[in-house]
Amino acid sequence: MLNHRARRRFQVFGICLFLIAALPLCSVAVTWSEIEARAKGQTVDWFMWGGFPSTNSYVNGYVAPRVKELFQITLRQVPVKDIAEVVGKLLAEKQAGKSSGGEVDMMWINGENFRTCKRHGLLYGPFADLLPNQKLVDWGKPSVRNDFGEPVEGLESPWGSAQVVMIYDAQRTPEPPKTLGALLDWARRNPGRFTYPAPPDFTGSVFVRHVFYHAAGDATAWQGSFDEKRFEPAAGATYQILKDLAPYLWRQGRTYPENPTRLAQLLADGEVDFAISYHPAEASKMILDGLYPESVRTFVFEEGTIANTHFVALPFNAADKEGAMVVANFLISPEAQLKKADPSVWGDFPAIDIRRLEPAWQARFAALPRGAATLPNDVLQRHQLPEPPSEILIRLEKGWDERVLKGR
Amino acid sequence: MTQPPAAFSDARTRAAPRPAAVIRLLAPALAVVLLLFGGGLALGLVQSLGHLPAAGMSSLSLEHFARVFADPDFFKSLGLTFYLSLTSTLIAAAISVAAALMFNTLAGRSRAIQFIFQMPLTVPHLVIAVATVFMLAPSGLLARALQNLGLISSATAFPLLVNDPWGAGILAAYVWKEVPFITLMILAVLQANGAELLDVGRTLKAGRWQRFRHITLPTIFPSLGAASLIVFAYTFGAFEIPYLLGQTYPMMLPVWAYKAYSDVDLLSRPEGIAAGLVIAAVAATAVVLAQGLTQAARRRGAAL
Repeated sequence: MLNHRARRRFQVFGICLFLIAALPLCSVAVTWSEIEARAKGQTVDWFMWGGFPSTNSYVNGYVAPRVKELFQITLRQVPVKDIAEVVGKLLAEKQAGKSSGGEVDMMWINGENFRTCKRHGLLYGPFADLLPNQKLVDWGKPSVRNDFGEPVEGLESPWGSAQVVMIYDAQRTPEPPKTLGALLDWARRNPGRFTYPAPPDFTGSVFVRHVFYHAAGDATAWQGSFDEKRFEPAAGATYQILKDLAPYLWRQGRTYPENPTRLAQLLADGEVDFAISYHPAEASKMILDGLYPESVRTFVFEEGTIANTHFVALPFNAADKEGAMVVANFLISPEAQLKKADPSVWGDFPAIDIRRLEPAWQARFAALPRGAATLPNDVLQRHQLPEPPSEILIRLEKGWDERVLKGR
Repeated sequence: MTQPPAAFSDARTRAAPRPAAVIRLLAPALAVVLLLFGGGLALGLVQSLGHLPAAGMSSLSLEHFARVFADPDFFKSLGLTFYLSLTSTLIAAAISVAAALMFNTLAGRSRAIQFIFQMPLTVPHLVIAVATVFMLAPSGLLARALQNLGLISSATAFPLLVNDPWGAGILAAYVWKEVPFITLMILAVLQANGAELLDVGRTLKAGRWQRFRHITLPTIFPSLGAASLIVFAYTFGAFEIPYLLGQTYPMMLPVWAYKAYSDVDLLSRPEGIAAGLVIAAVAATAVVLAQGLTQAARRRGAAL
C-alpha cells in the first residue's frame, strides 16, 4: 500500500518533470515559417499616429499592397491622434479581462507610451528576436537598446530613426541662429515670429527638452536613474526661460499651435519664421509636395539635437499576432527601409544598420537622392543628443503645463 | 373609452396604446440605450471613484472628484464652457427663429435656398472646425481677401478670431453648424400648423408683432426649446471644435477631460472620467430643467 502510493507519487513527479522540461520546447517550437503560414490571410490592424501624410501614403500605398502580395496579409492602417488613446484602450481591455481577440494588432510607439505599456504588461512578447531581419539591426546602439531610457528587451521592433531639425525659409531668414541660446535671443528680438507646439504634443515636448538641456548646461548627464535633487534646479530654470520667452512668442504666448502640422502651416503662411520637426527629411518632402517654398532649409543646433528610434509593438491581446510579426519583419527588410528612406516617399531614416547589408543594397541606399532641405547624414550624426529617460520627459511636460502655460 | 372607426382616426384622435405595449415596442431601443449608455456611465463612475485594477488602483474613494473640484482651473473651464455653449445656443436659436419665419413664407417656392441652408447638417463638426480655421485664421481666406482688396494693411491687422480669448471661432463654428438644425425643427412645426391660426389672428386684427408673440412663438416654443436643448447639451460636451479653435489655456471642459484621460500618467485617468461625468451631469440637469420649462410653457399655452 505504502509502496504503491510512493510509486504513484514518483510517477506524478516524473510526469511533472517531463512537462517542465518540455515547456521551453513548446515556446521555441514555433518557427518563422510556421508564423508565416499562420499569418496568411490575417488582417492586421495597425494603430498609428495619422498626422503625417507621407507616413500614411507609405503605409497605405506601399506596405499594405506589398504584404498582401508577398504574404497574403491585409494591412489596415487605423490613424489616431495620439497613440496614448490606444494605450488607454488596451488598459481598459486588460481590466475587463479581454486577453485575446483584441482589435489592435500593432502599434507605432516609443518613449513614455512604451514605458506605460511595458510597466502594465500591455505588450506581447518578447517577439523582436523571432524576426529574421532583426540581424540587420544594431542592437548595440544605445538609442535602439533603450527607448527613452527604458530597456526594449525585445518587446518592440525598430521601424525608423528620427532626429529633431529646425525648419526655416532661407529667403526670409538668411542667417538662422546656430544654437538654442541664439534662437531664444532671436525670438526675443523678433516678437511674434517664433512658437512651438504645446506639450504634451511630441514635437512641443522635445523642444522643451532642448531648452532643458540648454538650461542644465549638459545634455549627456541625464541618462541613468532619476535624481530629484539634480533635476529640480535645471527644470526650474527651464520653466523660467520659457515663461520669460512667452510674451515674445506668436500671439504673445497666450495660445500655442496644437501640433507640428499646425506649426508647419504657420511657417508656410508666413505667420512665424521657424518650424520644428522630428523628421530630418520632412521639409524636403513638403517642398516636393508644394507645401513649402523652394527656399526652405533645415539646420541643427551646434550643440546637437535630440535623436531617437521609433518602434512597432504588439498588444498582449492582439488577434492577429502572426500577421503583425510578419509585417514588423517586412518593415525592417532592406526593400521596405529603402523605400521609406526615399525623400519622395517619406525620407525617414533607416532603423537598420546599412553596413550590415550586401554591397548592392548599400549602394542603393547611398544612391538615394537627398532632398534640397535635408542635411547630410554625417552632419546629422555628428549632432545627435540622447533622449532623457521618460521620468524627465513626463516631469517636464507637467511642469510646463503648470508653470509656463498656467503661470503658477 | 371607445376607439373611433379607423377611417376617422389620425395622429391626433387615435387612442394611445396601452403602457405595456409601449414598453414592449420600445424594448429593443431601450435595451441598447441602457446597456451602452447606462453601462458606460456606470463603468465610468466606478473608474472615476478610483477603481482601475490594471493600473494597480483598486480602492473606491471620492478623492478624484475632490481633486477635480479643487483644481482652480476646473471652475475656469466650467465657466468658459457655460459661456460658450449658452452663447452659441442663444445666438443660433435667435437666428433660427428668424430664418424659419423667412423660409416658411419663402421655402415652398425656393428649394435651392433650403438645400444650401441644410448643407451644414450633413457635414461633421470636425470639418466645420477645420473650415473655420481656413476661413478665419489671420492667414486664412477672409484675411487674404480683405488684404487683396486693400481693406486691411497686413494679416496682423486682421482681428483674432481663432484660438482667441473670447472663443469667437468656437461660437462661429457652432452657430454655423447648429442654425440649420434648429431651423429645420421649427420649420417642421410651422409648416404643419400655424397658417390657419395666423389667419384667425389676422381676422381678429392682430398686428405683426402680436401674431408673432401670441401665435407663432407659443406654437414653435416646444420644438425650439427641445432643439436648443439638444444643441446646448451637445456643445457642452463636444470636443473637436474647442480643441481646434480654442486657446491652449484655459480650455473647455471636454478638452480638459480628454487631456486628463489621455495623459501618460495613468493616475490622471480617473480625473478625466470624473470631469466627463460632471459634463454628463450638467447636460442631464439641463435636459430635466428644460423639459420642466417646456411643459410649464405648454400648460400655460393650454390655459390661455
